[in-house]
Amino acid sequence: MSDQVYTLRIQRNTRRDDGTMDTKWDEFQVKATPLTPVLNLLEDVKGNQDGSLTFRQSCRSAICGSCAMRIGGKTRLACKTQIGEVVDENNTVQITAQQNSPVIKDLAVDITKFFSKVHQIKPFLQEGSESAEEVDDTAFDQVNHVTQCIMCACCYSDCTMAEVSDEFVGPAALAKAFRFISDPREGKKSDRLKVLSNDHGIWSCARCTMCVAVCPKDVKPMEAIVKLRTRAMDAGNMDNYGAKHAQAFHGDITSSGSLNEALILNRTLGVVGALGEMGAALHLAKKGKIPSPFPHKIENLDEVQAIYNELEKNPLDVETKAENAVPE
Amino acid sequence: MYSHDLIIVGAGLAGMRAAVEAVKAGVNVAVISKVHPLRSHSCAAQGGINAAINPKDSWESHAYDTVKGSDFIGDEDAIELMCKEAGNAVLEMDRMGTPFSRLEDGLIAQRPFGAASFDRTCYAADRTGQVLLHTLWEQLVKAGVQVYEECQILKISEVDGQVAGVVAYDIKKGEVFGIQAKVTLLCTGGYGRVFLTSTNATASTGDGMALAYRAGATLADMEFVQFHPTGLRYSGILVTEGARGEGGYLINDEGDRFMTKYAPNKLELASRDVVARAEQTEILEGRGRDGAIFLDLRHLGAKKINERLPQVRQLARDLEGVDPVYTPIPVRPTAHYSMGGIRTDKYGATILPGLWAAGESACVSVHGANRLGGNSLLDTIVFGYIAGRELGDKLGGMDMPTLPESEVQGVKDQISELMDRPDKGVRPASIRERLGEAMNSYVSVFRHPDNIQKASDLIPTLRQDLTTMHLDDKSKVFNVDLLRALEMQNLVDLAETIIAGAMNRTESRGAHSRVDFPDRDDENWRKHTITKWDNDAQTTAFSYEAVRTVGKDAYKPAVRSY
Repeated sequence: MSDQVYTLRIQRNTRRDDGTMDTKWDEFQVKATPLTPVLNLLEDVKGNQDGSLTFRQSCRSAICGSCAMRIGGKTRLACKTQIGEVVDENNTVQITAQQNSPVIKDLAVDITKFFSKVHQIKPFLQEGSESAEEVDDTAFDQVNHVTQCIMCACCYSDCTMAEVSDEFVGPAALAKAFRFISDPREGKKSDRLKVLSNDHGIWSCARCTMCVAVCPKDVKPMEAIVKLRTRAMDAGNMDNYGAKHAQAFHGDITSSGSLNEALILNRTLGVVGALGEMGAALHLAKKGKIPSPFPHKIENLDEVQAIYNELEKNPLDVETKAENAVPE
Repeated sequence: MYSHDLIIVGAGLAGMRAAVEAVKAGVNVAVISKVHPLRSHSCAAQGGINAAINPKDSWESHAYDTVKGSDFIGDEDAIELMCKEAGNAVLEMDRMGTPFSRLEDGLIAQRPFGAASFDRTCYAADRTGQVLLHTLWEQLVKAGVQVYEECQILKISEVDGQVAGVVAYDIKKGEVFGIQAKVTLLCTGGYGRVFLTSTNATASTGDGMALAYRAGATLADMEFVQFHPTGLRYSGILVTEGARGEGGYLINDEGDRFMTKYAPNKLELASRDVVARAEQTEILEGRGRDGAIFLDLRHLGAKKINERLPQVRQLARDLEGVDPVYTPIPVRPTAHYSMGGIRTDKYGATILPGLWAAGESACVSVHGANRLGGNSLLDTIVFGYIAGRELGDKLGGMDMPTLPESEVQGVKDQISELMDRPDKGVRPASIRERLGEAMNSYVSVFRHPDNIQKASDLIPTLRQDLTTMHLDDKSKVFNVDLLRALEMQNLVDLAETIIAGAMNRTESRGAHSRVDFPDRDDENWRKHTITKWDNDAQTTAFSYEAVRTVGKDAYKPAVRSY
C-alpha cells in the first residue's frame, strides 16, 4: 500500500509552576500507509521532528497497556490503531491525553488515580471459607474473559460515570473484582459482593456501554458489572439503593408491564429519602413532568411475563471465551 | 536518600517473584521500575512455561532437552536446578491465582514446544506472560511491597568493591535520588532495542546489564542473541512458538513446507536457532517475499485459532492486515532474547558483593547458546524465587553499606550536562537507528567477519555522537527525551560486547552462526565468553570460563539434530 501524508493534530500540555495547565495544539505531517499504527507515527515525530513530544508506550503489541490516549475522539491504544481508520476527510486526526485522570505532560497522564481504584477492590486472590478445593476444565470460563484486561484504562478514560464522580470505582476495577468473584479458588466472594454493593461500586454504573465499546481487549467491563449485580442480589445484598431500584423495576414490569415513575423513587430511597428529593419533584411538577401515581396495566401483559419467565429459566450470558470473532 | 535491605530493580516476573519471596522472610524490600509493574515486558510472552508436571514426563528429560538446546554450553548444575524446581514454580503460580488453561480433568494443560521431547509447556491461551505478570503484581499488592514506579536507575553505586545501592531518576518529578541497600538485585530484562527490529518492548534497553558492566560486574555470552523464527514482517512483534506447537506450518513463497529439508524429524518444532537459519536461508535464496516467509495456520481452523491463539490472530490483523484464518502470516527471524547477561552463580550472585541478578538480565547460564521456547518464563520464575529465598536467608547477617552523596551528585551532573548541550548534535533516535540497522544487517542470524567488522567500525562514531547528541526537551517533568538519551549509552555499550564476542568466537554454536566457521568447535570453544569493562583502557576486556558440568554421560556434547 502506498504512502500518504497524514496530519497529527496533537494536544500539547505543560503544567505551569502554579499547577495550572498550559495547553496548545501542534500539527505534524507524517508519511505512512493506512495500516501504520498511530504509535509508529508518534515515534516518527518524536524521533525526527520534535523530541519533546511526550507519551507513554512500551510493548507495541497491545499487551502492556501503556499507550492509551484519545485518538479521534475515543480512547484507544496507539499501537493497535491504524492511522487509516481514524483520520477525517483531510487525512487529519486529533490526539489528546486520556480523560478522567490528571494530565502530567502532553499525552501522559497520572496513572495513580486509576490504579488506586484497582487497589481498592483488593486485586488478589484471598484465602477463605469459600475456596473450592478442585477446579475443572470449565472453572475459568467466567474468569478467562476478564483476565484479558491489561489495565490500560481506556474504559476509565471514556467512562461517563467517572466523568461526573471521582469516587466511582470504575469499569476496569469492577471487571477485576468480577474476575476474583468468579474464580473457584477465591475464598471471600460474599465479602467482596457486600463491599461492591456499597456506594460508588457496582450500582453506580450507568450502563452507557462506553467501556465495552472502547476496550481494546474485548473485556466487556459493563457485562461483568451487570453479572456482579445479579450475584450481589442473589447473595442477599438488598439493602442498598441500587438493589432496591432494580427490585422496584422488576416488580413494576412483572406486575403491570410499565414503570410507575411517580412511586419508584419512594421504593428506591424510602419515604424519608424521597422527601429529600421534594425540591426536584416540585420543579418537575411545575413543568408537568410528574406522571400519574396510579399504575396502569399494559395490554398483553402475559407476553411480557412470559419473556421474564423464559429469561429467569435461561439467563443470558455474555460470551466468556474469545470464540465468535469471525470477521465481517 | 532512601534505604532498604533489598532493592530489586525491575518489576517483571523475575523481580516480582523475588520480591514476593523475600517479603515472606520479613525482609525490608522495595522494587524500583521504570514502568508500572504491569507494563513490564514479561507480559508479552505468549506461548507458555515449561515444567515436567505430567507423571509420564520427568525433570531429567526436561534438563536433557535444555542442555542439548543450549548446544552444550549451558551450565548443567543450573539447568538441573531449574528443571527440578519447575513443577513447584508452576503450581505455586497456579495457587497464587494464574488462570492456566485446563484439561477436562482440571489438570493444567500443556502444549508441544520446539526441541522438547514431551508436551510440557503450560499455558493460558497465548497470553501466558500477561496472566503470570498480573498474578505476581496481585501478590505484590497483597504483600504491600513498596514500588518506586516510573523511576529509572542511572547508576549502580560501587564503593570499594561493594555495591551500595542505586542512583535513580524519578521520571514523573525529574528528581535524582539514591537508594542504599545491602543487596541490589537486577531483574531488568533484555536489550532487544540494540537491534532495529525486535520482538521486544521499547523499554527493553538492557539498562541493568549495561550499568552492572560499568560498575565492574562481568557479562557472559553476549554474542548469543536469539532470533525468533516468527516475528511479524513489519513490526517484528512476536508470534508465539505456540502457533507452531498447535500445528502451524512454515511455508515459503512457493508454498513449500521447507522445514522438511532442514529438520526432517521435528520440522517446525526444531530448536529456534535451527528454524531461524532455515527461514533466513529460504529468504536469502529467493524463496521469500519482501524479506519474509509465511506462517500458515489456515488448516487449524477458526475454532482452534480463536481458542488457543486469539491474541496472535488479533495482532496479525492489526499489524499485518492479514487474518490467519484465511491467509498465511508473513514472518521473519527477529531479535528476541538475550542468552547472555550479567554473569551469576546458580543462585544469582555476581562477582560483585551486594549485586545479584535474575531473569533475562542474568546469565546463570541455563540457556547457553540457544534458549528453548517456554524456558524463559520458567527462568524468571525459578531464579526470581531462588534469589528471593537466598537473600531472605542472608540479608539479616549483612551490614548496610553507605551510599555516598557524591554518587547522587555525579548523576545530577551527568543530567545537567546533557540538558545544557547546544542543539548541534544529532537526536538520540538517530543513534539508535544507525546502531539498530548495523546490528540487524551485520550481526544477525548469519554472521560474516567482514560484516561484524563493519558493525564494530561504527561504534567509535556512535560513541562520538553520544557526547554531542542533543535534547529537544529541556523540561523537568516526564522527560522521555532525556531517558532515551541515557538509554542510548547503555545500548551502545551492550552492542559493543555483542559485536566483539561474535568476532572472537570462531565457531558456530546455537544462535551464533559464523559463515566462515560453520561447525561447532568443542575443543576450543566449549566455554563461556566473559566480558568486563576495562575502565583504564575504556574498552571491553575478554576472558573465558569453563562450562559447569555435572559429569553425566547424557550431557556429553553430541551432534545436534532435530
